[in-house]
Amino acid sequence: MQTRRDAAILWLFLILPVGYMVAFVGYPVVYNLVMSVQDVTLGNLATWDRPFVGLGNYVELIANERFRLVVRNSVIFVTVNVVLQIAFGLAIALYFENRFPGARYMRGLFLAAWMLPPLVIGALWKWMYAADYGLINYVLESIGLSDGPIYWLSNPDIVLAAVIAANIWFGTPFIMLLLSAGIANIPRELYEAASLDGAGAIQRFRFVTLPMLKATLLAVACLATVYTMRAFDLIWALSQGGPIDASNVLPLYSYQLSFEQFRFGGGSAVATFSFVVVFIVALLYVRTIRHEKAM
Amino acid sequence: MSATAPSEGFGLRGSTLTLIGIALVGLYLFPVYWMYISAFKTSSEIFADPPTMFPENGTLSSFVWIFTQEHVGRYLRNSLIIAVSTMALTIVLGSLGAYAMSRIRSRAVDVALVTVVVLQTFPEALLATPMFVIFRELGLLNTHLAVVLATTTKTLGFALVFLRPIFAQVPFALEEAAFIDGASRLQSFRLVVFPMVRVGVLVVAALTFVMAYGEFVYPLTLLTRAELQPAPVGIYQFVGAEYADWHRVMAFASVFVTPVLLIFLLLQRRIVSGLTSGALK
Repeated sequence: MQTRRDAAILWLFLILPVGYMVAFVGYPVVYNLVMSVQDVTLGNLATWDRPFVGLGNYVELIANERFRLVVRNSVIFVTVNVVLQIAFGLAIALYFENRFPGARYMRGLFLAAWMLPPLVIGALWKWMYAADYGLINYVLESIGLSDGPIYWLSNPDIVLAAVIAANIWFGTPFIMLLLSAGIANIPRELYEAASLDGAGAIQRFRFVTLPMLKATLLAVACLATVYTMRAFDLIWALSQGGPIDASNVLPLYSYQLSFEQFRFGGGSAVATFSFVVVFIVALLYVRTIRHEKAM
Repeated sequence: MSATAPSEGFGLRGSTLTLIGIALVGLYLFPVYWMYISAFKTSSEIFADPPTMFPENGTLSSFVWIFTQEHVGRYLRNSLIIAVSTMALTIVLGSLGAYAMSRIRSRAVDVALVTVVVLQTFPEALLATPMFVIFRELGLLNTHLAVVLATTTKTLGFALVFLRPIFAQVPFALEEAAFIDGASRLQSFRLVVFPMVRVGVLVVAALTFVMAYGEFVYPLTLLTRAELQPAPVGIYQFVGAEYADWHRVMAFASVFVTPVLLIFLLLQRRIVSGLTSGALK
């Protein structure tokens, strides 16, 4: 029989991990909010008694051209990543949904890229992007797509695209896997019925796969957004956000303000902007998977 | 491209699809191959123009160099300490929580799960600022403990989400029998439930290990003493310079990621099915 003490233990089991997350994430988030309205320097870091500056840090940020560039870069970085990861992920998932020897095993192998530490991926792509001896310039030159080295990481006009491409390579396999699971849940009969009605492959994709995948796509887009908004290691290794902030995004900028310029209040204010966006997307994600009974 | 599964035998169409499939995977994972072969090139071959697709004078000198000149052994040991400790803490807290979530019938479980999922999404590089200040106040800067506590926030939410369906599969009737025999909740968890979820827990443990093993932001922020730094920080310092010895960087990276790739190859099927079942439920 289940005693009262046993029930109490069960609640303790639940409270331990949830309490941990509240203590080590919830508290820092709140602490961050507090710091974002204070003037925090290396000198007063150790005390609670820091000058209150109201929205000063935020006002300063919004007036700052650098911050506006970083926001613009972040929007581009996240949007292009989410759209292309889903597009490539869907294409790969559909290809390996065909039945042929080794299909499932090969589909799984893509995940090897996603398992690598992002910092290592940044280092590896930095080597491949090397202007004079790098693999990418060599391939582009030998197939005639470029003549002469392209300075992927030192040309401010293309560095953001270079960083985005590396992150797409990293993120796509996981997105592909989630989409595969969604596709596998579509009842086969729908395709058979569509075929009987004379629908070709493209029509079956448009009128069966896409509509049936709508909820999965929304959930996956939310997850991809959340994951892309936390990208740090890969960009830090590739370009450190440079040159002249051309590939700088919110997490890097916040980190630089805090730990390179020791403007902790500014770093916290930048973080708040991201937190609000991430929080909204996370709630949307939870809502989507809650309302999706078919999955 | 068709999303339907043809019912006919594999035949010519099957072999063609397989060949294209192999080409796609090979192309996609070519950077990983590039990392490994770069590590075996000599310092002159690494800058050969055009680059060689396979090392002509393969050498282990880069590996010898990084272990004798660059403290790679120390970096790897620190990574292992952080990864194993994070994995242990995550699996203990995650298993207890997932078990409780599968047994308590209350709306509180829903609230708890949503709380964890939402908290888990906050980007770590943005939590680094308050984490640094908080751990400084606690006097835990420059300890592996601080990195483990911080990294667990990243792995615990993930573990709970993926362990919950695994624990939910254990029928309550089995435990009831144990309770009638006089077992306590703790005994039932240890003797009845845990043996049944071992494999699932192993997969989540492996993924947790991989996440913590590659952790970069928290050690970068919370550790300033070089002798405590894990491998990603070491690799970063190696690459950060204007000029990098790429054959040596790739040797360091290869040594560092090989355990991750081995874990992946050994558990591939289970990792794939585990990930697809957890994330969208």
